[in-house]
Amino acid sequence: MLCFEVFRGFVRDLYSFPSFKGFSETMVSIAICLLAVVLFPRELWATQIHADPEGLYSHQMGHGFFILSMGVLAYWLRGRRLIRYKGWRYLQYSALLFTLWNLDAILVHHLENQDDIFMKFSEGTLHAYLRPYPGREWLAWIFFLGKMDHLLCVPAIVFLYLALREMRRSPHRFSPQDDTGL
Amino acid sequence: MTLPFFPIFFVDLVGSACMVFFAIACVRLSYALHIRDRENVLYLYLLMVCHALAVFAISRGIGHIAKQLLLLGGYRHIWESLRPYSGSLNTISFCVVGAVTLFFERIWKVHQQILRDRQALKEAHEKLLLMNKHLEDLVSERTAELGRSEQKFRRIFEASRDMIAVVAADGTLLDINPAGCEMLGIDGNNVMVEAAAKKLDFGKFFEQPRDWERLRENLQRSFYVTDEEVALVRQDGREISALISASSQCDLQEKREVFHLVVKDITQRKIMQQQLLQADKLASLGQLAAGVAHEINNPLGIILGYTQLLIREEPEGTERYEDLKTIEKHTRTCKTIVEDLLSFARSAHSRKEPASIHDLVQEVLSVVRHNLELKRIQVETYFDPRVPVLVLDKDKMRQVLMNLIMNAQQAIGKEGRIEIRTAFVENGPSVHIVVSDTGMGIDPKHLPRIFDPFFTTKSTGEGTGLGLSVSYGIVKDHGGEIQVASEPGKGSVFTVVLPAPAETQEFMGHEN
Repeated sequence: MLCFEVFRGFVRDLYSFPSFKGFSETMVSIAICLLAVVLFPRELWATQIHADPEGLYSHQMGHGFFILSMGVLAYWLRGRRLIRYKGWRYLQYSALLFTLWNLDAILVHHLENQDDIFMKFSEGTLHAYLRPYPGREWLAWIFFLGKMDHLLCVPAIVFLYLALREMRRSPHRFSPQDDTGL
Repeated sequence: MTLPFFPIFFVDLVGSACMVFFAIACVRLSYALHIRDRENVLYLYLLMVCHALAVFAISRGIGHIAKQLLLLGGYRHIWESLRPYSGSLNTISFCVVGAVTLFFERIWKVHQQILRDRQALKEAHEKLLLMNKHLEDLVSERTAELGRSEQKFRRIFEASRDMIAVVAADGTLLDINPAGCEMLGIDGNNVMVEAAAKKLDFGKFFEQPRDWERLRENLQRSFYVTDEEVALVRQDGREISALISASSQCDLQEKREVFHLVVKDITQRKIMQQQLLQADKLASLGQLAAGVAHEINNPLGIILGYTQLLIREEPEGTERYEDLKTIEKHTRTCKTIVEDLLSFARSAHSRKEPASIHDLVQEVLSVVRHNLELKRIQVETYFDPRVPVLVLDKDKMRQVLMNLIMNAQQAIGKEGRIEIRTAFVENGPSVHIVVSDTGMGIDPKHLPRIFDPFFTTKSTGEGTGLGLSVSYGIVKDHGGEIQVASEPGKGSVFTVVLPAPAETQEFMGHEN
């Protein structure tokens, strides 16, 4: 508290100079703090270091969250019986395909980070290939197929496109009675 | 066993391009939907999802394409530096997609709430319109009904032959119908303006102010009065008899008590009643007189006969002769009175024949003119040429005219004017013979008795009081009547009304 009061007193003294007129007291305080951080760096223990695996985990969690949201959307669309309408049915298909794509992406990211499934050769060329470790062929196959995830996400976005197109072609105006609840 | 990367590479490149393409197409479609119905939150939601998905698809697609191309081009180090950004952006973007998608439930509820509110608003609006329309109909119906009612009561008010008046408790006249104006002799056009300006007091039209006070008290006490007979005085001073029915009402708007009065003019009825009473009285007197006259006439005839026989046998100049002459004279006087009584009682024999009333007037005037000139009384005659020949007893009618003229002369005394006017009244039809004088007039208290036999205001010996009675009897015998109007100090007007035969009117019409 004492330090804070001393700092406030210092800021007020500075503020008395004519060149500081026009700036608020808060702005001057912030500027001083930033200058102090830049000019007098010290070792800080306040923030945690995010090492290599954390990026993967957060990405995987993101996929998980995506799965959750798409699953919930599909569930609500069914619960509200919106799938009676073609456009909203396509939206449901899109959500389900995105869910599958996310599951696929999670699996592929997981397998890609395993060192004991296959080895990559000529990576970065058109002749690149992978060779599974003995006994891991089926996992290598799963990875190989799963890696072609666009086979899921492209149909998913196509269904979204179809859903929107259908809604545009034959718009349906809902009535309050359509809200049947879950 | 080896698995080539080329299919993966191909699917990745083509798929990424497709993702970018369809993501942009989805944004366009969702935007078009949003533009079509900007108030639809579901379309807004889809627009948000598509935008988030487009960010995800583009970042991921471009990232994947860049990765493959950079690796193929031998720029691994560049990709290694871009990789964390691409991966992070991917993570963030599909997290955003997921987060936005999760809002569906809330958006859907908002959408439904909006729909419900809109429907409720629409229903309320329709209901309001319906009510408004109904209200307009109701108001117009009520207005028309009110108009009809107003018209009906206004017609009653305007067309009523009786006075209808609205009077404040303090007597201020608030409204009065035309019949009322006519009855009170006030200007109907300006009555309300006048009433407002001068605060026309209804109480002032009462002959006796206490009558108005009594009426007001009764109204305030009992809230209504029925058939109250009062005497009113018109603005020109003429008196009228009226029958008042009234009710009291509290005017809540003006916060004052008002009286609603219906006033019936019964002056004519009262006159008629008096005339009937007079006629009844005179008829009774006539019966009595006829009875007495019949009984006396025969003995008088015998007395007169024997007296004349005795006179014939008695030499003239003797005392006995003079006595007999006196008896004869007074007997003749009695006989004349009896004959007059018989004329009054209409029991005397009459001989009717066609005669001109103008000739009769002239004949009578030629007899009395000299006497009138001596007393400097002017006689003016105005004869209506339309007066037809009437069937009447000329002698008796002469007697009537003589009586009326002599009465006028006696009323004038010296210096004055007698006016004799005849008129043919088609409505009836009838002939009016009006004898007016500028004499002293008749005291109102004597008016009801002037046709009574033997009633006279003259001193004893000047008249028998049978003149008007006999005239009345003669005129009644001719199917007519005598009207009298008199004002003390100004003179009297006697009007003999004789019926004219209908065929005479027709004849005259043809002649014209």
